[in-house]
Amino acid sequence: MRVLVVEDDPDLNRQLVSALVDAGYAVDKAMDGEEGYFLGETEPYDVVVLDIGLPKMDGISVLEQWRRADRNMHVIILTARDRWSDKVAGMDAGADDYVAKPFHMEELLARIRAQVRRATGHAKAEIECGPLRLDTKTARVTLDGQPVKLTSHEYRLIAYLLHHSGRVVSRTELVEHLYEQDFDRDSNTIEVFVGRLRKKIPPHLIKTVRGLGYRLSPEKDEA
Amino acid sequence: MKLNSLAFRLFRTAAVWAVLVLPLAGLGIDWVHKRDVFNSFDARLNQLLTLNIAFSTDRSGAEPGVPRNVGEPLFELAHSGWYWQITPLDRSPGKRLISTSLASEELPLPSRLGLKPDRYNIIWQDTKGPVGEPLRIAETLYNAGDDENPYFYSFIVAGNLEFPETRVAEFRVPLAFALAVAGIGLVFSTFLQVRYGLEPLRAVERRLSAIRSGEAQLLEGRLPAEIEPLQTELNALIKSNQDIIERARTQVGNLAHALKTPLAVIANEIGEDPSPQARKVAEQAALMRDQVGYYLDRARMVAQVDVIGRVTPVGPTAEAIVRALTRLHRDRGIEIDLLCPPGVNFQGEKQDLEEMLGNLADNACKWAGRQVRITASMATSTTDRHPQRLLIAVDDDGPGLTEEQRAQGIKRGRRLDETKPGSGLGHSIVADLCQSYRGQFRLEKSALGGLSARLDLPAA
Repeated sequence: MRVLVVEDDPDLNRQLVSALVDAGYAVDKAMDGEEGYFLGETEPYDVVVLDIGLPKMDGISVLEQWRRADRNMHVIILTARDRWSDKVAGMDAGADDYVAKPFHMEELLARIRAQVRRATGHAKAEIECGPLRLDTKTARVTLDGQPVKLTSHEYRLIAYLLHHSGRVVSRTELVEHLYEQDFDRDSNTIEVFVGRLRKKIPPHLIKTVRGLGYRLSPEKDEA
Repeated sequence: MKLNSLAFRLFRTAAVWAVLVLPLAGLGIDWVHKRDVFNSFDARLNQLLTLNIAFSTDRSGAEPGVPRNVGEPLFELAHSGWYWQITPLDRSPGKRLISTSLASEELPLPSRLGLKPDRYNIIWQDTKGPVGEPLRIAETLYNAGDDENPYFYSFIVAGNLEFPETRVAEFRVPLAFALAVAGIGLVFSTFLQVRYGLEPLRAVERRLSAIRSGEAQLLEGRLPAEIEPLQTELNALIKSNQDIIERARTQVGNLAHALKTPLAVIANEIGEDPSPQARKVAEQAALMRDQVGYYLDRARMVAQVDVIGRVTPVGPTAEAIVRALTRLHRDRGIEIDLLCPPGVNFQGEKQDLEEMLGNLADNACKWAGRQVRITASMATSTTDRHPQRLLIAVDDDGPGLTEEQRAQGIKRGRRLDETKPGSGLGHSIVADLCQSYRGQFRLEKSALGGLSARLDLPAA
């Protein structure tokens, strides 16, 4: 899952990025409204954490312009202005959630997980596919109840496939949603990580749909 | 009419004028009239004296005779108060002559009392007549001889003073009546002048009332030149008041941003570090967060107390809150019903209504099973300073609170359940805001089964 953090305070930006990377997200950051708007306009993020008080372009304007351009990623507003008038203005501009500063990082992570689940149509914090189970709260994957040891990139890949289980996910989509902006898109890293994952979980769970991409599905008799 | 009012001041001035000046004017008029009447009386006596001399000395011989025509029939009526008398002085020939009216009485001679004559050589004296009637005597000394052989005679004509005194007394009654009518008329006309003259001030009062109730933003309309500067200054004051509030809100918002971001950084930097130093910093950061929140709320409230001319329609504000909450809680499928007839208005700041309604409705959504209901209505109070009241109820079908919990629920920072997100300040912010509008905030048991949060606020 790919997250954009738009926050002008360098310390808070660093903390957010660090916490989100630790939680298994691919994270891009922007330090002002214009840069944030550009990234949100051009990159396919799953969730954006957007500060309201930003230099160059305020957060509400950034959000309104994204929505006018049909950018439908889930946006969590992060701001010190926590009056209901600010919340209503933010929600009316197209935000999906609102977190007031100062906040607990765990609360923000929970809100981000909720938005990711909402984006992929999952109501619960735990997502299953056959014997495979993802606990989004703890970022742990289990196979028949036993923990599966994964690197961060492997986790991102299986988590994305679990969120979109049953659907064909193209290689391009995976690259766009699992890696940061400066990742080398031409490499064959995805194939490498799929190969590694197939060694750690039943290989039939990740099906290769030739010419289209991959699909996570518990059935064995797929073509 | 209030005692401490411009109307009463003007009215009192007119009344004092009427009470003090009109009697003085009456005395003046009476004095002038009396002088005129007595002057006429003296002129009449003078005229009769001249006739008396003329008609008694028109025959041959030095000795005056009984005058042929005295010009006044009352000289013939006994003790009428009108008399004439001719008295030879010193060695002058002849005897004393008197009018029929004097019968056998004799009038005293003023000249013998040493009284001085006026410029017409007439000596005047007020005295009593033969029957005690008040008399005014006019006497002149007439030389019927020549310079070498003078024969002096005292000619007297007396008139009854009751005649001019009655005229003066009779004039005083209609004079007093006329002055009384004039006084009453003056007071009444002052009353009308005050009503008419002060009408623009009453118009100002009505327009200020309209500003307070939110029907108008500024003191509008054309006013008389004397109070036009007042209108200009009041409008400037209202505008300045609104600007100060806006600036204060902006500054408070900026302060919030400036303080809360570093606090978030501190709290996140420490994270879950279990060392005693880190826990101490975390504890102090949490304390600072609560204090910053508390004093920012206070600053906002102080800025809005008694702000004039602010009216907020409840319907659109509540709809915006419902829209935001529906989006925030859409995963839980909570149905938020809003029952608010058109024309229900809150007399106060939109931001404050949003804050109260938003906190209550958000709290209700967190606890509700499936349903939240927001109702707003108007009521009339007979005891409150603002008789028009706005009643808002936010009900949910959640687990609700016990009576004791409901009493605790509106205390600041009191969290009844740590498992729900939030600072625990929502209800107390509502209570503080509500109190700043001199309203009431209660927690009750809801008909839906959960909690019913009720607000009683000034309406417009």
